Amino acid sequence: MSRESILNAVKANKPEALPLPDIDLSVFDEDINLIERFKENIEFVGGRLLELDGLDTLDIEIKALYPEATKIVSCMKESALGTVPVSKDTDPHTLEDIDLTIIKGNYAVAENGAVWVSEDDIIVRALPFITNDLILVVPKNAVNLHMHQVFDAISERERTFGVFISGPSKTADIEQCLVVGAHGAISLTVVLY
Amino acid sequence: MAHAEAAAKFNENEAKVNWHDKALWFVRQKRDKQAHKIQGWEQLRDYASALKANVLSNLDNYLVQFEENAKKNGVTVHWAANAEEHNKIVHSILQKHNAKKIVKSKSMLTEECHLNPFLEANDIEVIDTDLGERIVQLAQEPPSHIVLPAIHKTKEEVDELFQEHLGTKPSGGNPEYLTREARKHLRNKFLQADAAITGVNFAVADTGGFVVCTNEGNADMGAHLAKVHIACMGMEKLIPQEKHLGIFLRLLARSATGQPITTYSSYFNKPEEGKEMHIVIVDNGRTEQLSREDFRRSLHCIRCGACMNTCPIYRRSGGHSYDATIPGPIGSILSPGKDLTKHSSLPFASTLCGSCSDVCPVKINIHEQLYKWRQIIVKDVPQPFVKKNIMKAVGSILAKPKTYDFVGKSTRFMLKNTPKSLINSKINTWGHARDLPEVKGDNFEEWYKKKTEK
Repeated sequence: MSRESILNAVKANKPEALPLPDIDLSVFDEDINLIERFKENIEFVGGRLLELDGLDTLDIEIKALYPEATKIVSCMKESALGTVPVSKDTDPHTLEDIDLTIIKGNYAVAENGAVWVSEDDIIVRALPFITNDLILVVPKNAVNLHMHQVFDAISERERTFGVFISGPSKTADIEQCLVVGAHGAISLTVVLY
Repeated sequence: MAHAEAAAKFNENEAKVNWHDKALWFVRQKRDKQAHKIQGWEQLRDYASALKANVLSNLDNYLVQFEENAKKNGVTVHWAANAEEHNKIVHSILQKHNAKKIVKSKSMLTEECHLNPFLEANDIEVIDTDLGERIVQLAQEPPSHIVLPAIHKTKEEVDELFQEHLGTKPSGGNPEYLTREARKHLRNKFLQADAAITGVNFAVADTGGFVVCTNEGNADMGAHLAKVHIACMGMEKLIPQEKHLGIFLRLLARSATGQPITTYSSYFNKPEEGKEMHIVIVDNGRTEQLSREDFRRSLHCIRCGACMNTCPIYRRSGGHSYDATIPGPIGSILSPGKDLTKHSSLPFASTLCGSCSDVCPVKINIHEQLYKWRQIIVKDVPQPFVKKNIMKAVGSILAKPKTYDFVGKSTRFMLKNTPKSLINSKINTWGHARDLPEVKGDNFEEWYKKKTEK
């Protein structure tokens, strides 16, 4: 067990105590249209934004976007498109051939096009990654300017697993050519309502 | 092999060097665009730097706090003093679960510890799942860049590799096709894996959680499918509080690739029902670096690679020329602390232009540390005879204005009137692969005099 020897060495070698900085978040303020900035960024990262006035037409819109999808998981009661039921006990390996997954996102971030989803929203952790296509449904009033606001908003949650998702999975590892669709979802649509 | 010799090898293929140089500079330009797009970029850097300084000054307490919270979350925490212990710990966890097939997302720490060969020698299959890392793994090479591991490979080379190892059709190096094939190949590996290994981008002391950032989704595909998740972290990856993730996540991807954030920033706190999560905290020379007043700030590093993308030397010499896990400017201040003799040429692989320090998101004074390592190295490591004596001679010339004036005049005369064949001969190192500047006539002093006399 090296624990003690490491901690003792750190104690002996560390510099004199330096204080935590006081972080003044007002320096990051920007007077911008949040939805516009979010849209800009979601497109920049390879995603798509769909703006709706409410959720009544959600399923019709999704059907129009993904007419081929048959194996669909819906993690929100507002969408009745689900054809594959998923519960806490679902073995994630069985989700290998899911075409489309619909998830509620709690918060969106204008500065980077990311959406925060937590374990409660996705039922099984592998789901948003293993699905072929992904839809995140977020209320318009949940779009924040920057990450600091979102971390503040989620600070009281029960912490298990959560993820910021910004666009579909991608890679540029072959000669710096951007290819969308690496190991996670191949496409991402964010629905703002 | 010293850096300069290895770099000369890389430079034998001029077209490739030019591509490498431009590709990385393009990433640097993307970084600039993103940095200028948000309010308060410089404040972000200041805060990040101050936070890291606070962490290092209180690292022992933060480590204990992190361990305590991680344990409360049901995570097993291990401590490794060095690479060997780290590898043994990982191996013992895998043995306990009889895990034979492992998927691993990008972790420079496991590269540093040479985990793959160790596990392979113990009859365990380790698959690197980041596409770039998979490419270099198939090629049996180390990564040449910490964010773009296969930046030194052409698409045609990747095409051939995949034909040989994955049975793909010749595609002339079509990135779309090759990536699709890699997705299929690795999808199978994810589904069959007994355990997943990931790195750690940030570990949060006040929650015991940790964040892993990827664009490909490979860390999550591994961690959420396998029964066991082992996260390997260098001890300096800690940050004090969860809210500080806001600062670091805003800086990391913008600095690294010019993205506003990575596609996935996954925040692990508790293992999923019925699964196990382990964290291995690794020292491996970090506490020693912490003791060096001049060099401890190198431990601020969040491994974004911005210093590599901007470095005129790195861009033209390639990551492999550094012969170290972490190449480029940051590697050149970290590596000498591990093995001064082996890495003594690295602090000289720099023009000291300071561009690395300018782009560093956590404000490490990289170029100053390079200079400081040089001071130590010329004292401790024998320097080549010629270099040593030339430096002495030049030093004495520069110390005397009259001599300097005379030497300047003669040099200008020589440059003007010596045949090119002699200037670019073997004797003149400065003449290798470069044309010396055209001589304009006067030196600055003479020119200035003329101007002011008018």
